Amino acid sequence: MLRMEIALFFVLAFVAYIYFSAEWRTTLLHKVFSVLLIVMMVHLLFDAATIYTVNHLDTVPVLLNDILHRFFIGTMVIAVYLFYQYIAVLVEEETGQPRQLDKAARLYLLVALLGVLLLPVHYAVTPQGNYSDGIHASLCYVSMAFYLFLCVWLLVRSWKRIDKKKKLAIGAAFVIEVGVSLLQAVNPTWLISGMGLTLMTLAFYLTLENPDIYRAELIEQKMSMLYLKSQVNPHFLYNTLDTIRIQAQLNGDKKVADLLMQLVDFFRLSVKVDKPMVSLDDELELVEAYMELMCYRYPKLQFVHDIDPDLGGMQVPNFILQPIVENSLLHGLKNKGYQGEVRIFAQKTADEHLEICVCDTGSGFGEGKKELIDQMLMNYAKQAPKLEGNSIGILNVQKRIKMLCGREFGLCYTENPTGGVTAHLLLPMKEEMK
Amino acid sequence: MKKLHVLLVDDEIMIREGFKRLFDWEAHDCEVVGEAADGMEALAKIDMLQPDIVIMDINIPIMSGLKVIQLCRIKHPKTAFVIVSGYDDFSYCQQALRLQITDYILKPVNYEEFGSCIDNLKISLYENRVVNEPMQQEERTINGLTRYMQEHLSEEITLSVLAEEFHLNAQYISQLFKNEIGVGFLAYLTNIRLEKAKKLLLSTALPIADVAEQSGYGDYRVFTKVFKKAEGITPSQYRRDFLERK
Repeated sequence: MLRMEIALFFVLAFVAYIYFSAEWRTTLLHKVFSVLLIVMMVHLLFDAATIYTVNHLDTVPVLLNDILHRFFIGTMVIAVYLFYQYIAVLVEEETGQPRQLDKAARLYLLVALLGVLLLPVHYAVTPQGNYSDGIHASLCYVSMAFYLFLCVWLLVRSWKRIDKKKKLAIGAAFVIEVGVSLLQAVNPTWLISGMGLTLMTLAFYLTLENPDIYRAELIEQKMSMLYLKSQVNPHFLYNTLDTIRIQAQLNGDKKVADLLMQLVDFFRLSVKVDKPMVSLDDELELVEAYMELMCYRYPKLQFVHDIDPDLGGMQVPNFILQPIVENSLLHGLKNKGYQGEVRIFAQKTADEHLEICVCDTGSGFGEGKKELIDQMLMNYAKQAPKLEGNSIGILNVQKRIKMLCGREFGLCYTENPTGGVTAHLLLPMKEEMK
Repeated sequence: MKKLHVLLVDDEIMIREGFKRLFDWEAHDCEVVGEAADGMEALAKIDMLQPDIVIMDINIPIMSGLKVIQLCRIKHPKTAFVIVSGYDDFSYCQQALRLQITDYILKPVNYEEFGSCIDNLKISLYENRVVNEPMQQEERTINGLTRYMQEHLSEEITLSVLAEEFHLNAQYISQLFKNEIGVGFLAYLTNIRLEKAKKLLLSTALPIADVAEQSGYGDYRVFTKVFKKAEGITPSQYRRDFLERK
C-alpha cells in the first residue's frame, strides 16, 4: 500500500498548496485546520516509511523501525486530537458556548503521547504482510474511539443549533473514518489507516474550508453591506431633508431650499431600484435631478437633452444613464474644470432599435485609454465582479444591458471629432408590456 | 369673491408652518383658518370651521387622512380635499381618487407651484357653478368668454383676441377672470389646455406632438415642460400611468 500513501500525500500537498495560497484567514478554526493539514502530511510520510520498514523487518534495524512507528502512531494521535479540536471549535462558533471538554482532551493527549513513547512496539508477521499490533498499535484505536466519543458527545448536545451544511460535512467525515477504522481493525494487513484520516481531512476541506466557498461568502457579505448602506429608510431621508428645506425657506434662503428639493428628487427617484426595467422618461428624470445638482455645484456645466416624447415610454434597464453621465463628468469634464456640456439624445436606428447617446465636450480619452475601455466592454463577461473603482459603473451598465436585453445590445464609446466622447447605448425598442 | 377658508392637517409642525408662511394665501384669495395635527383633531376642526379647502396629509396619528375624508364626505360634500403625501405610491392615490378628492400632491411640496393647485380648485368650483346655474336669459359675459376659449383651444388665444371678439377692453376681461373665477386669465387658459390634453392623452393614441398641437401648444417641448410642471410627470408617463391603472 506504499503507493497509495504516496498518492495521498501528494493529494494533501496539493490541497495544502491551494489552501495556503488562498487569502489568509486568522480565525481559530482555520488555524486548527492549517495545523491539521501539516500534521496529516507528516503523518502520511511516516505512514509511508513504516509501511516500507515493517515489511522489511530483517533488513531495517529494529530501533529505526520502532522510532518510525512511534512517530507514525504519535502523529496519528495528534491528528485525531486535532479533528476533535476542529469540531469543538466549530461547535463553539456555532452555538457560542465555550469548549468544556478541552481539558480532558488535552490530558488524554498527554497520556496517549507518553504511551506512544514508552510502550513497547510489537510486530505481527503474517504471510499477507507484516503490521504492528499489541498494546502500542491499539493506542491509536483507543485514541480514535476516545476522541470520536468526545465529538459525538459535543455534537449530540448541540445538534439542533448547528448549520445543516456543517452537520452533513461532519457526518460524512465520521462515516468515512469509522468505516475505514473498522476495515483496518478487521484486516490489519491492509494498512489503510492513513486513507481514512486523509479522506476525513479532504471532506472538511471540500465542504467547510474551501477557499472558493469562502471567497464567495466574502463577496456576498460585502455586497449585502453595500446593499444595506444604500438602504437607509428612504422616508426618513426625505422627511428629514424636507424639514430642513422648509426651515431654510422660512429663513429666507431660497437657494438652499431649491438645492434640497433637487436632492430629495434625486433620492426619491434613485431608490426605485427594485424594478429591473423602467421607462426612458423615468431614467431621464433621475439624470435631470442629478445634473441639476451638479450644474449648481459647477455653474459652467451645461446639460441638454432632446428626446422625442414618443420614445419616452420605451423600456430600458434601470439606472443605466446616470452612471454614464457621471462617468462623463468625472473622466471628461472634470479635467476641463467642469466647463462644458453633456448632451443626451435618442434616436431610432435604421434597424428599428433605440439608440441613446450621451455626448460630452470633455477632455476625451487619454493615450491608450479607449482601447482599454473597448476591451473591457467587449469582454464584459470575463471581468471579475469589482466592488470599487472607476469602471464599475459602465461595466455594470454593460452587463445589465446584455443580461436584460440580449447580447446584440450594449454600450460602446466613440470619440467626437470636436473633442470629448460619446457613449452609445443600443437598446431594443420595447414598450411596456400591457 | 369670498375668501376661501383653508384648514391645514399635518402632524409635522414644520410642514404646517411651511404651508402657512411660504405660500401666499392672500394673493390667492385664501385664508388659513385652522390647523390640525392628527385625525381626530382634523375631524373636529372640519365640523367646527367648515373650511372650503382641507390640505390633508395621509400619514397622520390616530386616524389616517383618508379615513378622515371618508368620514367627512357625507357631512361636508362641498369641501375640497387636497391630499399631500410622502407616499409615492399609487395604491394611496387610487384610494384617494375613489374618495373624490380634488387634488393629490406629493411631498416635497413646492410652495411656489402650490398656487396652481389652488387655481385648479377654483376653476373646478367655477365650472360646477356654471353647470348648476339655472339658464338665464342673458348669458353672463364670463361664461361666454370661457365657452369661446373652450371651443377655440387649438388656436392662439390672447387677451387681445378675446377683446376683439367680444368688443371689450382687455384690461376689463383680465379683471373679470380675477373677480368671477378667482384666477388669472393665463392660469385659466393653461388649465383648460392641460385638461384638454389629458383627455386626448387618455382617450386617443395620438402622438404627443399632435396632442400638444390640438391643445394649443405649437411646440411639443413647451407642452411637455408645462405639463410636467403642472402634473409632476411627463405626458407620456401620464398616459402610461392611466393604462397601468386599468
